[in-house]
Amino acid sequence: MASARHWPAALRRGLVLVLGLSALAALAPLWLDDPLHIDLSATLENPSAAHWLGTDALGRDLTSRVLHGGRISLGIGVLTSLFSLAIGVPLGAVAGFRGGWTDAAVSRLIETVACVPSLLLAIALLAMSPAILRGVPDVVRVALVLGFAGWIPVARYMRGEFLRLKSAVMVEAARASGASDLRIMVRHLLPAALAPVLVTASFAAASAILVEAALSFLGLGVRPPQPTWGGLLSDAREQIAQGWWLAVVPGLALFAAVLGFNLIGEGVRDLLDPRTCQLDKSGGRP
Amino acid sequence: MLRRVAIRMATGALTLLLVTLLVFGLIQLAPGSPLATSDDGLTPLSSADREALEAYYGFDQPLGVQYASWLGKLARGDLGTSIRDRRPVLDKIAERLPVTLSLNALALFFIVGLSVPIGAAAALNPGSIADRWSATATYLLYAIPVFWAALLLQRLFAVRLGWLPLYGSGGVTGIPRVANMVLPVVCLTYGGLAYVSRFVRTNLIESTRMETVLSARARGLTRFAILVRHGFRLAAVPMLTLAGFLIPALFAGSVIVETIFQLPGLGWLFIEAAYQRDIPVLLGVTLISGAAALAGILFADVTYALADPRVRRG
Repeated sequence: MASARHWPAALRRGLVLVLGLSALAALAPLWLDDPLHIDLSATLENPSAAHWLGTDALGRDLTSRVLHGGRISLGIGVLTSLFSLAIGVPLGAVAGFRGGWTDAAVSRLIETVACVPSLLLAIALLAMSPAILRGVPDVVRVALVLGFAGWIPVARYMRGEFLRLKSAVMVEAARASGASDLRIMVRHLLPAALAPVLVTASFAAASAILVEAALSFLGLGVRPPQPTWGGLLSDAREQIAQGWWLAVVPGLALFAAVLGFNLIGEGVRDLLDPRTCQLDKSGGRP
Repeated sequence: MLRRVAIRMATGALTLLLVTLLVFGLIQLAPGSPLATSDDGLTPLSSADREALEAYYGFDQPLGVQYASWLGKLARGDLGTSIRDRRPVLDKIAERLPVTLSLNALALFFIVGLSVPIGAAAALNPGSIADRWSATATYLLYAIPVFWAALLLQRLFAVRLGWLPLYGSGGVTGIPRVANMVLPVVCLTYGGLAYVSRFVRTNLIESTRMETVLSARARGLTRFAILVRHGFRLAAVPMLTLAGFLIPALFAGSVIVETIFQLPGLGWLFIEAAYQRDIPVLLGVTLISGAAALAGILFADVTYALADPRVRRG
């Protein structure tokens, strides 16, 4: 693997965006006001020294609300991504490696869940508030619901990877030395497929952040007064004629996070696939 | 060839059955006493509503019987009745469908209409400034959440400039006025440009590497002529497969867009049902959207098989 200096630009930019936002969000409680602190003497204030990004209709500090919202959005993104990997990697790996009936069954499952738009599936699940999700903290609840459909692209990608890898010489060598299927998959193929795992993990995080924001925007995700990026944009809808910063700032944060995770995914893919790197340099002609 | 299509249709039917099973599984998460209580501030169901639900889904019977009798009702077009106004779910869906279909058809038209020239311009000179700029621009658009774009566009064009209505369907029933459709269609279109234009570019570059194209170059055709004569014909087939991916994405987008712009389509119906915990409507729309996406995928696969002679004879 190349040193950081030779990493694709996409990966470096993505890391800067995601790590920068994460650091700001993580440190938010240390240096910012309480995001729930209401000050009715300072409502809808323009950005100023006291409130860097202004205040909302209840006089709450927007800087604090956006960064505290980031803790939730980024947290749900990472958590959903982990859930998606936990389901998608084993299913995709077994389907690709085993083939035959296992593959047919998993592929049918993938096609089935992929048919129903994941946003609709998430909304239906949340609206019915099934007993198993009662009492679970909002963040985990939303992440679980998003992971329910989020594993699909992960499984698809992993299936393709393992299908490709299973004919590798190392598999034959491992088999000749008496290794079981499980051992081959875990010890030999999974490390080789680590890059695709990282790629799908960051794409999964990006889409989870987007869907979570959509859910909160529609009032079905993490509940107020807890600030979330989607929820802040939903609040901004009420102040449609004033306070431009209310609509611009949370959206920019959301945009940066989604772009960051997408760039990381793309960057890792380029980093580990020498073909695309060369393709880019020679202007699309290998 | 026929055999191939038949097999695909059979697996499609199996998937449809699995989609109904998935929706049936969702019902199972809700039934019985959990419907009566609610810890998330949503209104609990009245006992009359619960009895109506239980009568429709037959909750007192064994699971297998419930599923079979529910499938029988589906086959007769009976999706249950809305808890809200006790009208058949199918009627509610049918009256909302024209708005969603026109919105999505327009969005699809503009996605393809814009992506093909963008992708073609990029494919003409890979690595050129046009290629890199269109890639960056569409990539950035792709990361913009649709509800944020809607909010900013509303602010600019409806509030600030006053050129377009803020929301609503313009006081008409059925398909909204043109002015009311502009912003919703823009919101549904821009996100698809990145994916589709890259797809067009990749497929055009792939197809112009084929030998027919080499011979066309040898005959002295310009690159543009080759792209038009050969590239598009060769690239048209893989582009069909996009339909399968675009339909679910567009549908999810129209849930958000219809809600923000208050267009009386399926998406808004779905969100209303979610707020009101109108479970029959919620599941009816979920089922219909899954079936629509599946139909799109099957249509793409079958057309693919018909259009490509190599697949056709295989």
